[in-house]
Amino acid sequence: MKQAVSLPARILWNAFFWTYERATWQYDVMVIAILAFVWLTPPDWLGDPTASGMGPVGWLLRMLNVEF
Amino acid sequence: MTFTGLIGHVCMFPLRLIINACIALRISPNVLTFVGVLINVAAAWQLAYGRFVAAGFIMIVANIFDFIDGKVARETHAETKFGGFWDSVIDRFSDIALFIGLIYLYSSLRRTDYVMITALAMMFAIMTSYTRARAESLIAKCKVGFMERPERIVLFMIGAFTNRMAAVMWVIGVLSVFTVADRIIYTYRELKDARPEPVA
Repeated sequence: MKQAVSLPARILWNAFFWTYERATWQYDVMVIAILAFVWLTPPDWLGDPTASGMGPVGWLLRMLNVEF
Repeated sequence: MTFTGLIGHVCMFPLRLIINACIALRISPNVLTFVGVLINVAAAWQLAYGRFVAAGFIMIVANIFDFIDGKVARETHAETKFGGFWDSVIDRFSDIALFIGLIYLYSSLRRTDYVMITALAMMFAIMTSYTRARAESLIAKCKVGFMERPERIVLFMIGAFTNRMAAVMWVIGVLSVFTVADRIIYTYRELKDARPEPVA
C-alpha cells in the first residue's frame, strides 16, 4: 500500500525535478505529453488570440455526436 | 533508439552537409552565430505581424546557423573562450527577439492576458539560462530541468507551423518556472553537500 502511494508521487517528483538526458524514454514521454497538450487542447479553452474553435477535441466530440 | 533520438538522427544528415560546406568555405563560427541572430530577428518580425508559417520557416533557417556554429568551431579547431561567450550572449538576443515579436502581436490584438503570459515565459526563459550560468560559476555542472533552449526553439516552431502559439507559451512558461526551480534546488543541494566541515 505504501508503494502504491509513493509511486505516483515519485513520478510527479521526477517529472518536476527533471534530470533525464535527451533521447531517453522518459524524454519521449514528456515530449508526447507536451505535444498532446499543444495540439489537443481546444484553442477556445485557452482563449488563444490567433486561433479559434475546439480543435481535434471538438472534431472528436462532433464524431461522437456529443453536444458542447 | 528512442523516438526523439531517431528524429535527431534523421535531421543530422542535412545538417552534416551544411557543416561540411561551412568548413570548406572557411566561414568563421562567430559569423555564423551573428547571422543566426539576424535571421531570428526576421522571424520575430513575422511573428509580430501574425505571419506564423513564414516565421516558422525563417526560424528553421536561423536555428540551422545556431546549431552548426559550435560544430564548425569544434571541427575546425577554432573553439575559443570568446566564441562560447559570444554564442551564449547572441542566443539570449535571439530568444528575446522571438518573445518580443509575440508580445507586439498580442498587444496589437489588445490581449493583455497573453502579453503577460508571453512576458512571464520570456522572463523565466532568460532566468533558465542565467541560473545555469551563475550556478556553474559555483559548482561544476547544473544541467537539470527540461525546458532548455533547444526545447523552446522546437516548441516555437511547432506553435508557428500549427498556429498553436498560445498553448506553446503556456508550456514554455510553466516548464521554465520548473526548470529555474530545479536549478535553484540542485545548486542549493550541491553547495550544502560541498560545505567544508567546521574546524573544531
